[in-house]
Amino acid sequence: MSIMQYNGSAIVAMAGKGCVAIAADKRLGQRALTVDTEFQKVFPITDRTYIGLPGLATDVKTLYDRFRMRVNLYKHNEERTIEPKTFSHLVSHMLYERRFGPYFVEPVVAGLDKNDEPYICGMDLIGCINFAKDFIVGGTASDNLYGMCESLWEPELGPEDLFETISQALLNAVDRDALSGWGAVVHIITPEGVITRDLKGRMD
Amino acid sequence: MDRYSFSLTTFAPNGKLLQIEHALAAAANGVVIATEKKTGSSLIEVSSLQHMVKVCDSIGMVYSGMGPDFRVLVNSARKMAQKYRRIYMEDPPVRILVKELASLMQEYTQSGGVRPFGVSLLLAGFDDRGANLYQVDPSGSYFPWKATSIGKNMVNAKTFLEKRFNGEMELEDAVHTAILTLKEGFEGQMTEQSIDVGIIGTLPNAQDGGPTPVFQCLSPADIRDYLSNIA
Amino acid sequence: MDAQFAISGRDFVISVTDKGVARSIVKMKHNEDKTWQLSSHTLMSVSGEAGDTANFSEYIQGNVRLYSMRNSQDLSPSELANFIRGELAAALRSRSPSQVNLLVAGYDKGKDEAALYWIDYLSAMAKVPFAAHGYCGYFLYSVMDREYTPEITLEEAKALIKKCFEVLKTRFIVDFANYTIKVVDRNGTHEIRQDEL
Repeated sequence: MSIMQYNGSAIVAMAGKGCVAIAADKRLGQRALTVDTEFQKVFPITDRTYIGLPGLATDVKTLYDRFRMRVNLYKHNEERTIEPKTFSHLVSHMLYERRFGPYFVEPVVAGLDKNDEPYICGMDLIGCINFAKDFIVGGTASDNLYGMCESLWEPELGPEDLFETISQALLNAVDRDALSGWGAVVHIITPEGVITRDLKGRMD
Repeated sequence: MDRYSFSLTTFAPNGKLLQIEHALAAAANGVVIATEKKTGSSLIEVSSLQHMVKVCDSIGMVYSGMGPDFRVLVNSARKMAQKYRRIYMEDPPVRILVKELASLMQEYTQSGGVRPFGVSLLLAGFDDRGANLYQVDPSGSYFPWKATSIGKNMVNAKTFLEKRFNGEMELEDAVHTAILTLKEGFEGQMTEQSIDVGIIGTLPNAQDGGPTPVFQCLSPADIRDYLSNIA
Repeated sequence: MDAQFAISGRDFVISVTDKGVARSIVKMKHNEDKTWQLSSHTLMSVSGEAGDTANFSEYIQGNVRLYSMRNSQDLSPSELANFIRGELAAALRSRSPSQVNLLVAGYDKGKDEAALYWIDYLSAMAKVPFAAHGYCGYFLYSVMDREYTPEITLEEAKALIKKCFEVLKTRFIVDFANYTIKVVDRNGTHEIRQDEL
């Protein structure tokens, strides 16, 4: 079993019509043992850009702390908020800096750019960006998530339909993955604001 | 301490500051910078002189003062721009590059064993905020301008620009204004060989047709056309 | 093969560690206190690699107390936990990582509530209602899952800990002779004997 599977996680991001969604499970484990069921893996970067960090729990925290510092410095230096695309390249750069001793996470970025266009992308643990127009998945349930997203996602979904789609995709994917699940959190990012909802899943 | 004075005005071995005149004018959709290519001798091959450089696609730069010092700053500025690009995959906003360059110049006013840079810079660029014009001095202070001039005859040139400049200028008008400003107090005949003109403008990009900044130095042929229109 | 666990209620945390120190097949000690007092209202229990536990804990205790002296103010449990995690995470990717598992138990005087943080040797951190490290987790999580409620009182928590001891006695191959049991609440930290449970 690889270190990427040590704590367990499932994260998915989807693009809709003028909105994006990002969702994650809440389990923290040590291999098969569940330690916490309120563990957060998705973090706000700006008012309309979120990042999900599936992978090794220690690096989730370390990286989020570092991203937060860099984005705050960016905000002060440049007197503007960072765009999701620019932030993704910053993340990619910071991961590749550790090319030969990487952080064990596969980040998922979701946000709306300055023209309210959806932006989602994923990365591997050394920062290779995978830009997608539909959905991005990551974590121990990623195979399951691919299947769910491939069958449920459709273009031009509004915020409420997107919420339903991403929730069903995540909930059904983690039910067939032993290392993720135990409830979930969904963020729907719209130009008017972010809607955050907690989901109850199978707690077994 | 008597023999060597490390004040900000001690730059050239002969104690004289070489000054070249520059005029800048920012238009709504771009910036024009123009400079005189002053030479000490008529024997110098003028076409090889370069006072105006491109820092990155969206930023250009000229100077007044010592040429060798300028080249050091050009190297640093280009490296700063590329370092920013390597992190964010986009050109730095003009203000960010100016700030970083200015802090380098400030460092050389305080560090031991070095002297300050003997140049004043003018940077012209285009970013999210639109067209930008900045002046950076050897002390490390910097100023944003709508239009300005540095170097020899700058006082007269600024007075001229105050009269001629308005914010709604098109890029073509700005080129004319910049050349006319330079002509004020120009010694000898102004030809396409004796001045440099650089333009920051925008082109629609391939993806969504949004404005992509482009910096270019005008060719002698282009400059000749502008000069003939003025005369 | 340490026993290390804790249960937190609204306004208290009970921390439990065994008192044994073993090396290979030999019991070296049976009265070791594996908890470290960081301030009047915070406690850290430690298990893991023999030398690392004392080394890391002394370093943390030293720095935390220095902070309190310099600033005439104690760090809150969440500030403490984040500081400790940061130090452990920095060590993890250095040439001298510390292999220690930690439980940080504290009472936040500002928020008027108890807090328990679980930190493993990789520096993964979680704020939890109850926690355990090592093998005893495999036995105790099921017991605590069944019995725990967020409204648990100190007396109920003591009874739950008694049940945990029973399970360890019945099903765990290691026989822990003695335990250090400490309670953190708004009055500070105090130890209770096993027969006082």
